[in-house]
Amino acid sequence: MKPQSTFEREPARRVFASELRETRYQFKDGEDEKSPTYVILPTGIRSNRIFVVGTLTEKQRQGDQNIFYRGRVVDPTGTFFIMAGSYQPEAMQQLARIEPPAFVAVVGKPNLYTTPEGNCLVSVRVESIAVVDRETRDLWVLDTARETLDRLDAFGTTDDSRKAQEEYGTQPDLYRKIVYDALSQVQL
Amino acid sequence: MTLSEVTERISRKLEAKGAQPDRQKIESRLRRLVEEFGVNVDEAERTVTGDLAREYNVTGVGTGGSSSTELRQIRDLAPNDWVTIEGKIVALTPPVSPSIAQTGIIADSSGAIRFVAWARGNPPAMEYGHWYRLESAVVDEYKGAPNLKIHSGTTIARAEEDAPLLPSITPIAELKPGVGSVRAKVIQDWEVSHDRMLQTGLLGDETGTIKFVIWKEEGKDRLELDAVYNVYYATVDEYNGRLSLALNTAMYIPDEGDIEVGRNESETRGALVHIGPGSGLIKRCPVEGCNRTLSRQNYCPVHEIQPEFRYDLRLKGVLDDGVHAKNVLMQREVVERLAGITLEEAVGIAETNPLGMDEIFYRIRNTVLGRYYTCSGSEFDGRLLVNSCTPIVFEPAELAALLNRAGGEPA
Ligand SMILES: [Zn+2]
Repeated sequence: MKPQSTFEREPARRVFASELRETRYQFKDGEDEKSPTYVILPTGIRSNRIFVVGTLTEKQRQGDQNIFYRGRVVDPTGTFFIMAGSYQPEAMQQLARIEPPAFVAVVGKPNLYTTPEGNCLVSVRVESIAVVDRETRDLWVLDTARETLDRLDAFGTTDDSRKAQEEYGTQPDLYRKIVYDALSQVQL
Repeated sequence: MTLSEVTERISRKLEAKGAQPDRQKIESRLRRLVEEFGVNVDEAERTVTGDLAREYNVTGVGTGGSSSTELRQIRDLAPNDWVTIEGKIVALTPPVSPSIAQTGIIADSSGAIRFVAWARGNPPAMEYGHWYRLESAVVDEYKGAPNLKIHSGTTIARAEEDAPLLPSITPIAELKPGVGSVRAKVIQDWEVSHDRMLQTGLLGDETGTIKFVIWKEEGKDRLELDAVYNVYYATVDEYNGRLSLALNTAMYIPDEGDIEVGRNESETRGALVHIGPGSGLIKRCPVEGCNRTLSRQNYCPVHEIQPEFRYDLRLKGVLDDGVHAKNVLMQREVVERLAGITLEEAVGIAETNPLGMDEIFYRIRNTVLGRYYTCSGSEFDGRLLVNSCTPIVFEPAELAALLNRAGGEPA
């Protein structure tokens, strides 16, 4: 456990859907029950919160006693699977009110789980969600491109990126290509 | 205190003055004085420091020992000096313990220093506004600032006449822990965070800004927002590397004219990823000088139920650039512009909508959450107090630059 004299909120990392989909490795930073759980993103940074902006294409209410909502948020590279349950009633109510399709901004926690068939899936547990406009979506693509390129530039020089290399065998050029393709879809 | 610690301290003092003392030599001299001659460690330290300072031909080293009757300027006093000064008592503060007879601030034309007179020596009480000569007082350090100790060996004599004294004004950017006088404008008036606090806010001059606090005390008045004051002999405190001014020791006098405040502003870009509780429409305590946020039941933690509250708008949020999450606090004017709603409109909606004040929280949150902004303002205690906040707009040039950076063919 690191002694924390001043609490600093975890930043919300910017990550494209196709990178988050590849995420498999998570760890707890500390022994405590309350220690934060992080995933290592393939481009080499730990994250326990992400910020995504995309199009909510689908929303479903599920569960009988424990109601929760699932949704799909699409960016230029793929799909984020989001969910909001009774543990975050505010977020659930926000999601319940939004009618797809709509541009949405989502702040949430990346969450890894394994299906009964043994597949590893990544979802985003929503902390907040709001309807935004196309310009915010475009700004997010630029922002996420910039952050991803910054991580790729530092790849191999940080502990987290060496861990990513070990876990995923990340090929930086592949991610540069993903960034390029995402940017290409933004209309001037 | 071991001799090697003392050796280290003496070496550091001399090194700070550019000398390169031999630690072994220092320690052996100390040991000789202490072990062979039975001198106590403090006295040995003074002697060795003084001897070496002369040998290395350096001045301004606090030697402690050589009880000097040479008159010194207050500005030049350094910890461990034994000194004689002449100064005017410009502030007296309530002693914090029965072992202390008097505390306050003494000043000459070069500067000012806090003093403490210990009760054990039964020193004569010094009077506010008069000049005194203090012989054999000791300078030590208290909370990072020089502090003058008046002990049983100090001689106190009232000066024959009380000369006029003009405090020297220090630019805010050059203040150091201790005592300081500034000419400054009141640029922000904040909500007080403590029962005993009369007022807190931000003072600024051409060189920068500094937080100030006035604790409740008889005869202490509030400063007026946007007015310029001469503040004489405020206490400069340091906490977590940040300076602030406590005005209880100070005399503050309104001054003519205006000041173009040099704001040490910082700018942050990012997305608003969180809108905290306590944002939106709030109620404030109407009691003069209180301004605290009331509970839903109009309850002020100090003044209890206040049905005649006044409304206000504010936003407590987190602006996040993907690498750092920064707490931001926006006041009414900024929130009005950002959310496109005036305070009057917000009050009108809250008083007619079934959700009441919550409705305003949701409206503001839905307008700003997840959007990109550039916020500028001054930073205090890890929070950006936002003076202006503008939405970031899409720049095609930025897209082109990123496409280039990603290394593909030009689009
Ligand atoms: Zn009150």
